[in-house]
Amino acid sequence: MKRYVVRRLLLAIPLLLAISFVCFMFINLIPSNPAEVALRVQQMPVITQEAITEMEEMLGLNKPFIVRYFDWLIGCLQGDFGISYVNPTRTVAGEILRCLPATLQLAGASFVIVLVLSIPIGFLCAVYKDSVFDRVMRGIVFVSTAMPPYWVGLLLMWGIGVKLGWLPTNGSGTPQHLILPAFTVALSYISTYIRLIRNNMLENMKQDYVLYANVRGLPQKAILVKHILKNSMHTCIVAMGMSIPQLISGTIVVENVFSWPGLGTLCISSVFNRDYPVIQTYVLLIGVLFVVFNLLFDILQTVSDPRLRKEN
Amino acid sequence: MKKRFVAAMLAGTMAFSMLAGCGTSGDTSSAGTSENSNSELVFVNYRDIRDLNPHLYAGEMYAQSMLYDTLVSITDDGYEGCLAESWEISEDGKIYTFKIREGVTFSDGEICDANAILANFNAIIANKERHTWLEMMNLLVGVSAPDDYTFVIELSEAYYPMLTELGCIRPFAMISPNCMIDGETKDGVNGYIGTGPYVLTDFVTDEYAVFERNENYWGELPAIEKITVKVIPDNQTRIMALESGEIDLIFGKNMLDADAISQYENSDKFTVALSDPTSTRHIVLNTTNDILSDVTIRQALQHATDRTAISEGIFYGLEQPADTLYSKTVPYCDIGLEPYEYDSDKASEMLEQAGWAMGKDGVRYKDGKKLELELLYNSDSVTEKTISEYLQSEYAKIGISIKIHGEEEQSYRDNMKAGNFDMVFNISWGMPYDPQSSLSGMTAPVYGDYAAQQGLEDKAEIDKAIAEVLTTTDETERQELYTFVLTRLHEDAVYIPLTYECNKALYTSDLEGVHFGTDQYDVPFADMYFE
Repeated sequence: MKRYVVRRLLLAIPLLLAISFVCFMFINLIPSNPAEVALRVQQMPVITQEAITEMEEMLGLNKPFIVRYFDWLIGCLQGDFGISYVNPTRTVAGEILRCLPATLQLAGASFVIVLVLSIPIGFLCAVYKDSVFDRVMRGIVFVSTAMPPYWVGLLLMWGIGVKLGWLPTNGSGTPQHLILPAFTVALSYISTYIRLIRNNMLENMKQDYVLYANVRGLPQKAILVKHILKNSMHTCIVAMGMSIPQLISGTIVVENVFSWPGLGTLCISSVFNRDYPVIQTYVLLIGVLFVVFNLLFDILQTVSDPRLRKEN
Repeated sequence: MKKRFVAAMLAGTMAFSMLAGCGTSGDTSSAGTSENSNSELVFVNYRDIRDLNPHLYAGEMYAQSMLYDTLVSITDDGYEGCLAESWEISEDGKIYTFKIREGVTFSDGEICDANAILANFNAIIANKERHTWLEMMNLLVGVSAPDDYTFVIELSEAYYPMLTELGCIRPFAMISPNCMIDGETKDGVNGYIGTGPYVLTDFVTDEYAVFERNENYWGELPAIEKITVKVIPDNQTRIMALESGEIDLIFGKNMLDADAISQYENSDKFTVALSDPTSTRHIVLNTTNDILSDVTIRQALQHATDRTAISEGIFYGLEQPADTLYSKTVPYCDIGLEPYEYDSDKASEMLEQAGWAMGKDGVRYKDGKKLELELLYNSDSVTEKTISEYLQSEYAKIGISIKIHGEEEQSYRDNMKAGNFDMVFNISWGMPYDPQSSLSGMTAPVYGDYAAQQGLEDKAEIDKAIAEVLTTTDETERQELYTFVLTRLHEDAVYIPLTYECNKALYTSDLEGVHFGTDQYDVPFADMYFE
């Protein structure tokens, strides 16, 4: 077991290095001179050669590519991700840290909504398979999976924010501000998990241990909750674990629609402003999150499932 | 075990989001709704105020105008004293002596006299490379403050747009010397303290900024006491926020789309306002191109362009059709140029005369060469793409084949600057930089104009006239030179003017005094009030 964990941890290192290299390379693949981009981003009305030379020196662009990569990598390991082009008085790390809490808050709230709604609904759909409830839910799941989040967001904003006036349309600060964006982010995940839980439970119902439990005369409630639901959650845990980085990266569009001041809004505005150091760090961060969560939930699953341990 | 694990995760996330909720709740209540007071205005912008250091270019200009003042102001009727009460210009046009207004203080209590202004100029000059796009920085010999209320600027030669450049908020706005770091501002400032009508009292990056009236303001106090600027990046969300009463005013060139404007045109609750032209959307023709080096072809393209259809079909009339490179409302540009009328028959005839005969494939040929041109546009701009597609189909009718080609913004600009285009979209610099600074930009390889004009026989003559126009002190001569330059460019048909861009505002109907200033980026908050 220990060997497995160490092996997985060691394997993650080259993967992380590869991600960092790809992130860095992308910026350097841009045909334009980053110094000129930085000046344009700072709205210099006319970009003169003198200004470009000055900026190149400031950004260290006169060094060779590989030297710059290692400089950047060492900086990243020390938590120094460079400075923002848009506002040279701010560091990229500072910008990310400023926006991270808002995104975690939104992703956390969405995650709670996903869990609270999808587990009972998925459970009931499986138990009452082909009932009216199951059919209606399947219809809703089908429709909500097909609806793009920004559109759902605008509809909710118009209906609940403007027409009913119950909740603010945008911004952050109070719990009321959180409801609409969190629900919008959660909606597509809820649908996915309802289906996942329902299908897993239906598969488990066909297993021999369920038949055996019935033969033993255990109460139905105990069979459903203690055995079937418990066993169905295996795959769900991994899927939900992986959906945490997805939730964090997936808030991009919704944050922008609701002016939620998180990483998504930062990323979109950086894309529009061509603030390359911020985009580079954002991509790196999301890549690292995926690797870390993948690793974490693989290990957790191995810990919790004796069958997987034997295979190893 | 797994059940416990799920329960633990659930509890953990709930606790976390509650904690996170507690952490930030309540602290943004200052960015509340607009319904609470008549003296509070909630404005919206698509991005943060960013770095408001007035000597650099990274901040929002409307916010800088609220905080800072310049020596002179540019008004509809010309220049007006601002921090300088009055000024004198020496006969040779080289020495400007400003009498500084007495009794003006920065909002931190520091006196704004000639010494403070000198400190500002020194900080700007210390970062001269950044500002050489303004011709006056190249001509600057020195600045001095002979006494507490006299400030002198000396130039190496006369330069008539000097006061316009001094009147622009960037980089010649005055910040309190206490905010400078070692007497400089080029590496940042430690506060945004000016002499303007408002002070910045609170801001949260990417969320909101709060400006409160500067009670010690030297001029007339504005009616609105508090202005909250919310950051809402999405077009639709801004409209919803206006509808729900969370904001009062949307203002700017690209803050509203045509649909939104037409939706509210007849509304009682909201008012729509459009400004005079601020800048010109046009296509630059590259005169070094084999086909476009012939002036007849360029003129034929002018006649083949239906500006009215573009104005009405693409902009729903929000941008008026443009007849000339600069609108008549731009200084020195009302010179009675005869526009190229839309007449596709005439265009065909001109092409025919130039020896381009219609081929079997519907495209014209001359000596085996196909009449084919490439039109470069910024792929980030949906309007440019739509106009490109429209022109492609229109020009095809008279036998001109257009290949449209979109590039992302930076690459589009690089190509434009390097002259790698046959035809390219561009927008003039806009008020108050038109016409002087944008014409001056044509004489150096900073934008596509320089490259595009290289094929003109009279390029040297035009450049010489532009150089002279900036230095002449004689008003009549200046007008003559402008007339010469603009007429030549018009007859050479280097630019196909399309539409005039304008500023747009949509606001709640009880807000009064909304108008458009002389600078396209300025929002005149000081004149606004609630009924």
